[in-house]
Amino acid sequence: MSKVVGIDLGTTNSLVAYVKDGVPVVIRDRSGDPLVPSVVSVDEAGTVYVGREAQRRLLVDAGRSVYSVKRFMGKGLDDVGGEARHFPFRVAGESGGVVRIGLGEREFTPPEISAFILRELKHRAEAHFAAQGEVDPDVDRAVITVPAYFNDAQRTATRDAGRIAGLEVLRIINEPTAASLAYGLDKRHTGLIAVYDFGGGTFDISILRVEDGVFQVLATNGDTHLGGDDIDLLLTSQVLADLGGAPGAEAVQAVRKAVIEAKWELSESEAAEIRVDLPGRAYRKLVTRAGFEALIRPIVDRTLDPCRRALADAGLEVSQIDEVVLVGGSTRVPLVRRLVGDLFGRAPHSELNPDEVVALGAAVQADILVTGNREMLLLDVTPLSLGIETMGGVMSKIILRNSTIPATGSEMFTTFVDKQTAVDIHVLQGERELVADNRSLARFKLRGIPPMPAGLPRVQVQFQIDANGILSVTAHELRTDVEQTIEVKPSYGLTDEEVERMLLDSFEHAEADFAARLLIEARNEAETVIQATEKSLRAPEFDAVARAELAAGERERIESALADLKAVLNGADRDIVQEKTQALNAATQHLAEVMMNRSVKAALSGKSIDRL
Amino acid sequence: MDVHFCPQCTKILSLGRHGDYFAYLGLPRKLTIDPAELEQRFRTLSRQFHPDYFYNATPAERRASLERSSYLNDAYRVLRQPIARIDYLLQLEGFAPKGPEEAARQVPPSLLEEVFALNEELDEIRELRAGGAPADVWKTRLERARGPIEARRAAHEADLESLSARWDAAVDAGAPDAERHGVLDELRERLLERNYINNLLAGIEKELNA
Repeated sequence: MSKVVGIDLGTTNSLVAYVKDGVPVVIRDRSGDPLVPSVVSVDEAGTVYVGREAQRRLLVDAGRSVYSVKRFMGKGLDDVGGEARHFPFRVAGESGGVVRIGLGEREFTPPEISAFILRELKHRAEAHFAAQGEVDPDVDRAVITVPAYFNDAQRTATRDAGRIAGLEVLRIINEPTAASLAYGLDKRHTGLIAVYDFGGGTFDISILRVEDGVFQVLATNGDTHLGGDDIDLLLTSQVLADLGGAPGAEAVQAVRKAVIEAKWELSESEAAEIRVDLPGRAYRKLVTRAGFEALIRPIVDRTLDPCRRALADAGLEVSQIDEVVLVGGSTRVPLVRRLVGDLFGRAPHSELNPDEVVALGAAVQADILVTGNREMLLLDVTPLSLGIETMGGVMSKIILRNSTIPATGSEMFTTFVDKQTAVDIHVLQGERELVADNRSLARFKLRGIPPMPAGLPRVQVQFQIDANGILSVTAHELRTDVEQTIEVKPSYGLTDEEVERMLLDSFEHAEADFAARLLIEARNEAETVIQATEKSLRAPEFDAVARAELAAGERERIESALADLKAVLNGADRDIVQEKTQALNAATQHLAEVMMNRSVKAALSGKSIDRL
Repeated sequence: MDVHFCPQCTKILSLGRHGDYFAYLGLPRKLTIDPAELEQRFRTLSRQFHPDYFYNATPAERRASLERSSYLNDAYRVLRQPIARIDYLLQLEGFAPKGPEEAARQVPPSLLEEVFALNEELDEIRELRAGGAPADVWKTRLERARGPIEARRAAHEADLESLSARWDAAVDAGAPDAERHGVLDELRERLLERNYINNLLAGIEKELNA
């Protein structure tokens, strides 16, 4: 049976988790690291790197690396124009269309970039299951989390990313709600809970009532453009202003890395030094926690109003909240903890690792879906009101924000001219009065209305928000009971055909990517053998050993096998690299045994190998 | 009381077109609802219908679960708010305002006096403001003008409560249609007036923030 996982697709870091024997666990790499930095990079040869390696490449090849792609999900070029200049990568696309991001020589949509990260997580999970000896380690289904305040376009973009990565997306769930599931596992928590989720790029607040294992979200609010990134940007700008001049993209990344490290240190210490070493310049600046807090206070303050609005929408007073839970890396900042504590009048919880808790909750939800385990149930809400454009450019609301999902709403339409057979409908999301101030989700053309005198047709359009918070629309004419066809043109999204094509593209590239990955692994192994061999050949005792223990011509055979491997090491043929690695291994086997015996004997006789 | 699952095969039933929120939640068609009981029923039914539990079911069952969950959530949202609940009952009984025309019609007769006084006061305040009077002067007058309107709203809330109680009593007693329709007529009038009052208050709020 193939595996299901929960994925936290974060702005800064992403994680994958699954439920093992009823307990959710995060899957780590071999060094025990649970985080995959949400960075994608491509080298000149076209090899794609994801995670730590891509993050390292930001410092040496910033222009070919992409980070914080989550900020671009479901966005149009017009939405991100001002912000794009802060990033080293190209942000392009057509006005009024979906954003395109330059990665090396190619351009990708944000869902495609996110799909690289998802594929890396899928590989990590599959490698883990294979190492556990699972019969079928394939991971083909996942629950993926999104910020609660993500709109329909951003959710759809996330689901598309999953599909492009070859995953069936079982469910899109909200990050704060996922966190509450992870916290609710031990059933300690009942009552009213506020989940304050301040991550790398987004902020969410969700107010939940937990009772009888039902996690019911009462209200949610947030800002999908507010997070640790903003703190980093503020500090980076300051340092860059100090440095003056026009720094290159790599220098900016070096500064960014240095301020992030200082930010982390300031969560533990009262002061930290920002250290940036640039060619010809060593920059040092001492930052006190008080100075840091004064600087970032306006950013943290921006999280407080959404909290108050969520409470008001839930019809609750601050004093009624029983518990406050902190989620997201930015909640490690002491100022954040203090201000949240002040607002809610109680010390917030942070027993679970704020980086991991969302992925754990996603794994729990994935398990519920697949096993039908009914111990817990998540009832979430739609964060934004859904409506349509009416006369005069005004939005008429059909499903109000904070409605429990799935939810439906319907609206009656008619015609304005005789024998009119189609009606244009513009779907919006947001709380503002005017169409122009809200998010355009899609334009629909209702076709197939039976020709009748103007005003006579009664077309009922039904809007359905599913449990993912994603919209679908159906319509039928009531007088004739005719079902209408609807053509969807998402305002800032991909059509189904585009997603399909990207999925196929990714299969093609997946093969190339997979080959590249295998080649890298083969080279790494070859280098290990080369280093070990060279170390032996250079060892002070080698000549003595060779005279005493090696057969005639053995040394020459080792040296020629070594030269052979070095000659093919940087080629693109993995098979030859492996073949020559094995040849060198075979040639050195006897030498390795001899050297090993000598060191064992030396150890037994209490003498250091150096003195032999 | 609605049946949600097939009594023979225990499979979830498709929703169909008809329904009413009260019956769906297993409640009598009355305006007083114990919030704790509503929550309890909502949670119990959520646990039976939710799409999470039908992931491996047939497409028809999954469809039914989505429909039933959506309808449950819609019902819960309406019945949980007293005003929305009255509005829904009026629709159900065929006493809903006839459309936007009736809802936004002329000043309700019972409010003529207040509305007339308020409009005069608002005109004067606007003149004051245009003439450059300090904000605290005209704001104080606006606040004062709000007083009688808010008093009317409070009176309306009380009216709606007692009318709701009369409706429930009529249902319990199995009262004749004439009596029930009388209550519904009054409920509709109060609701229309209430909307009008709310619009007036929103107008004052707008002036305050102008």
